[in-house]
Parts: sequence; structure tokens; C-alpha cells
Amino acid sequence: MSDAGSQALAEALRSSFVIVKLALAALLVVIFAAGFFTVGPQEKAVILRFGKPQGEAQKMLLGAGLHWSLPYPIDEVIRIPITEIQKVSSTVGWYLTSPEMELAGTEPPAGPSLNPQIDGYVVTADRNIIHTRATVSYHIDDPRTAIFNFANGTNQQFNLAGVSNAVQNAVNEALILSAARFNVDDIITRDIAGFQDAVSQRVSELAEREQLGVAIDQVQVQSVAPRQLKDVFAMVTTARQNRDKLVNDALSEQNRIASQAGALAASITNAAESARTRYVTAIESDAMAFTELLPKYESNPNLFAQLELAKAMTQILTNVQDKIFLPQRADGKPRELRLQLNREPPQPKSAANP
Amino acid sequence: MKKNLITIVIAAVLVMIFALLLFTFQVRQSEVAVLTTFGKPAANNLDQPDLYFKWPWPIQQVYRFDKRTQNFEDKYSENLTADNTMLLTSVYVGWRISNAKDFFPKFAGGSVEVAQRQLETMLRSAKAAVIGKHNLSDFVNPDPKQLKLEAIEDEIKTAVQNQLATQNYGISIDFLGVKKLGLPESVTQTVFDRMKSERQVLISEAQFQGEAEATKIKSAAERQAADVLANAQAEATRIEGSGVAEAAKTLAVFQQNPELAIFQLQLEALKNSLNQKSTLIFDERTPPFSLFQNLPANTQTK
Repeated sequence: MSDAGSQALAEALRSSFVIVKLALAALLVVIFAAGFFTVGPQEKAVILRFGKPQGEAQKMLLGAGLHWSLPYPIDEVIRIPITEIQKVSSTVGWYLTSPEMELAGTEPPAGPSLNPQIDGYVVTADRNIIHTRATVSYHIDDPRTAIFNFANGTNQQFNLAGVSNAVQNAVNEALILSAARFNVDDIITRDIAGFQDAVSQRVSELAEREQLGVAIDQVQVQSVAPRQLKDVFAMVTTARQNRDKLVNDALSEQNRIASQAGALAASITNAAESARTRYVTAIESDAMAFTELLPKYESNPNLFAQLELAKAMTQILTNVQDKIFLPQRADGKPRELRLQLNREPPQPKSAANP
Repeated sequence: MKKNLITIVIAAVLVMIFALLLFTFQVRQSEVAVLTTFGKPAANNLDQPDLYFKWPWPIQQVYRFDKRTQNFEDKYSENLTADNTMLLTSVYVGWRISNAKDFFPKFAGGSVEVAQRQLETMLRSAKAAVIGKHNLSDFVNPDPKQLKLEAIEDEIKTAVQNQLATQNYGISIDFLGVKKLGLPESVTQTVFDRMKSERQVLISEAQFQGEAEATKIKSAAERQAADVLANAQAEATRIEGSGVAEAAKTLAVFQQNPELAIFQLQLEALKNSLNQKSTLIFDERTPPFSLFQNLPANTQTK
């Protein structure tokens, strides 16, 4: 080999080494840069390092923003569509309807029976058939369980569909089980809150027992009588309202009678009270007058009596309306006196009737 | 020389990554893996998430399974209860692969669908057996003590679990619950008829109750009012009596001279009775007109 030749080779090698080095450096940069990833607002991310989720409890979930992880064989980033509050509705217990009908407030026509394949319903404790449905709000309490313990059918994908499905079935079961121990009137009218509480309690119980990793926030239950019997159920409600009205009317009548009787009783006793006072004072004043007069009377009873009588006669004659003086007949015989008790009003005198 | 060091480090990293890809595999949190050596499964399930070593294919091969709980719901199907009621039920089952080593040789390629078909068969017989042992009153009952729906769920679950265990399917059941409970279509119509007549009874009951209740309340009120009035009358009599009793104390005063007392009373009575609107007829013997008696004779009538 000539010097020139070896020098050229060395030159070529050196330059190719530079290229290789540059390429390697570029590769590293690419690998490092590829570790960056962003998380959107409607999702969370979890980094799996050698398959194990990083971070405990809520810290496991990476929120919206820019994050960095090691390259693939070490770290793997999985994204989970997740919102703060999860909502799920029951799928059994309600008749077939569509969102459009729900919005319009209409319902499909009721047939004479319910097709079990189409129309959902629940059987109550007293073996009635009614429709009921529930909506559950919950949040993810333990992301490790909720995300990694429940599958949604599709292999190797991570989302909350699996756990949401489990919550939904818990709600379905809760509706059926609660309905099975409540009577129809309690579910629909008398104890709506009690039924809702029972369903809610059962959902929470199942969520805990089945270890779903979720916490139930709220359960709302809606129950109605079958469309087929809507009218007759409404009639019962009306009849019960009428009954309550009758009873309430009677109660107010009772109050009226009681207060009236109370008032009357008070006036009776008051009247008696004042009569007593009057009577007692009258007697007392009489007694006082008597005590005063006694000495005068005792000094000359006859004169006193005559004087008192004369005084009284003066007063009587002043007060009396008609005074008729009827002197004794000369022959001493008694006079005949006719008394016309029904006094006629005086008639005006006329020429024809003098 | 320093430049060479950097080159070596970079090369080493790249080689390491390549080696990692070739000689290792990961098991994720949600997975269980079985490693086979020339087709023979290893003794252990790899069910902890981690990085595991393996020889490259074709020496060793990795089979991965989803160990998460799968949801399975069977068809809405009819079964007879012990008291011959046709009942429609559907259950949901949370099941998972608990032993991948046992699971994957039994179901083609470890297929979840095939496993679920097997599960459905088991459920069908378990349901028929359990439901057939219970009366309808065990399914719906207002008395929580007699309601056995939860026990029924557990019985079905246990029956399926026993079958799975004896067959060594590598499947375990986490939970099982009733998803739907209903009656055959024709029965719903008779239920409606019965419900309707029950409602009619309730309607008339409410009507009668209202009237009866109202009458009861009113008559009770009237009786109470009468009581109150009677008590008031009695009280009034008592009060007046007490007045008389009180007045009687003063009677002693009048006893000093009963004649005067009687005279005074008579006089008072006379004054009161001969008040306005009365007519007094008297002759000359009545004082003070007795004065007329002694007048001269010319006033005498014929």
C-alpha cells in the first residue's frame, strides 16, 4: 500500500466515522424526543414501566399537558379517555323508547302485553309489573383497579368501558333486587325516596363487593306504572287525593266545631260569672240598705212602712203607662170590669163611622 | 480517544436496546403470560407485571392473556320455578382467566369467545337447577327475610364455580348477578288484568275510607263540642250556686228583722213589676188614692 492510498483510506474511514457518529447522535436525540407526549383534556395517561403502572392511586393518572417517558421497551404510555364524573344508566326496566321520543315527551303505543325481548320492566314484591330506570354518577376511586382489572371485550386496550359496564350491571341488579322487595305503591308514590335509597345502597354495596375501584356519587331513580295501566293508576291517585281532601275538610270542620264550642262554653261560664257577681252585689247592697233602714223601721214600723209605700207609689205612678181610677160604686156592689187584652191600635174617626 | 468513548457508549446503548427487544418481554399489569419452551408450557404463570427474560423464537415463545375481569351476559331464558311459574332470567357474570396455563390448552388459542360459550352452557344448567329449587316468593317478596334473590345468585355462582373447578378450566368467577327478571309475554297480560282489578279495589277503598274517616272526625268533633258545652253548663250552675252560697252569708243580716226584709223585697218587687208599659187599675182603697175616700159627697157618682 502506498502512503497516499492508506492516507486516502484513513481519510474516508474518518469521514464515514463522523457520519456514523452523527447518525448515532441523531438517533439518540430522536429516541429522547420520542419520549415526549401530550395528554389532552378529555383523557389521562398512565406510564407502564416494564408493564407496571407508575405512581400510586390518583397520582397514577397523568393529566393534560406535556409529559416525558423512557422509550418503548422500558416505558409504555397508555391513554385512557376519562372525564371527572362518569355517568351510566340502567339498561333494564324501561320500555323501548328512543332519545327523540324522550325529548318530545311521547312514548310508543302500548300493546296489551310486554315483549320480554324489547320492553324492560321489573317485578315488584307484590308481583306487579312496573318500569323503572336509574342513572348513576360515580368517580374513579382506584385507577389501578378500575383500569387494569376490567376488560371491555377488546384485547389489550385500556379504557373505562369495562368498569363502566360493570357499574351498569350493578345498577341493573340493584333495580331488580330492590323492586323485588318493594311494593308497587311504595316504588311509585309512597316511598319513592326509600326505593331510590335502596337502589343507591345496593349499587354502592356491589361496587365495593365486586371491587370496581369506583365510588358512587349519586343514583337517581325514576319509576312509572306501565303505560297500559296509566289511567287506572292515575285514578287511584285522584281517589286518594279526594280522600285526603275529605279528611282535611273534616279536620278543619272539626277545628271550627271545637273553637265554636269553646267560645260558647266561655260565654256561658262568663255569663254565669257575671250573674253571680250581680246577684251577690245586689244582695249585699240590699243588706247594706237593710242595715241602714233597720233602726228607722224599728223606731216606728207602721209609719216607716206607710212612708216607704207612699214613696214607692210615687215612683210607680210616674212610671206606669196607663192609670185607671175606678171608684167604688155608691151601692157598694163590686163593679164588673172587662179587660181586652189584645189592645187594638186606635182607629181614625170618619164621618161614616162616628 | 474521548470521541471514541462517546461512540462506544452510544453503540452499547443501541445494542442493549436491541438485546432487550430480542431477549426480554414485558407482562403488563392487565396480563398474564405463559412461556413455552419448544411448545412445552412452563410451570408458572407469569402474572406479575415486569420484564422477563426469554430465549428468542423458536426456542421460547410467549402467550399473553388478558387477565382482566370480563363481562358476560347470558341469553334471557325461561326456567320453571319450584311452584311451576315460568320465569325469565338473565345474569351477568364477571369472570377472568385465573390460571392461563390451564386455560389456553382447553380453548382454541385461548379464545375468550370460546370460553364464554362454555360458560353459557354451564350457566344454563346451573340456572335451571337453582331456579327449579325455589318458589316465586323467593324471587320477589316484601319481607326481606324471605327474599332469597341474593342467595339464588350465590347458588348459581357456586354451581358454576364448582363445575369450573372440577373441569380445571383456569377460569374463576368474581361476581354474578341477575340482570333481568321477567315473565313470559302472555303472563304479563294477565298480570296487567290483575293489577287493574287491584287498582279498582284501591280506588273504592280510598273513596270509602275518605267518607268514613270524615264522618268519624266530624262526629267525634260534635261529641266533643257537646261535652264542652255540657261541662260549661255544669260550671255555670256551679258558679251560680256558689253565688247563692256566698249571698247566703249575708242572709244573717236580714234575719235581724225578717218583717222589714220581706217588706223591702215586696216593695222592690212592686216597683219592678209596675214599670213602664203596664196598666194600673185602682180604686179609692189603694193608697195614696185612699185620700179620695174622705172627700165631700158631691164627687159621688150616681
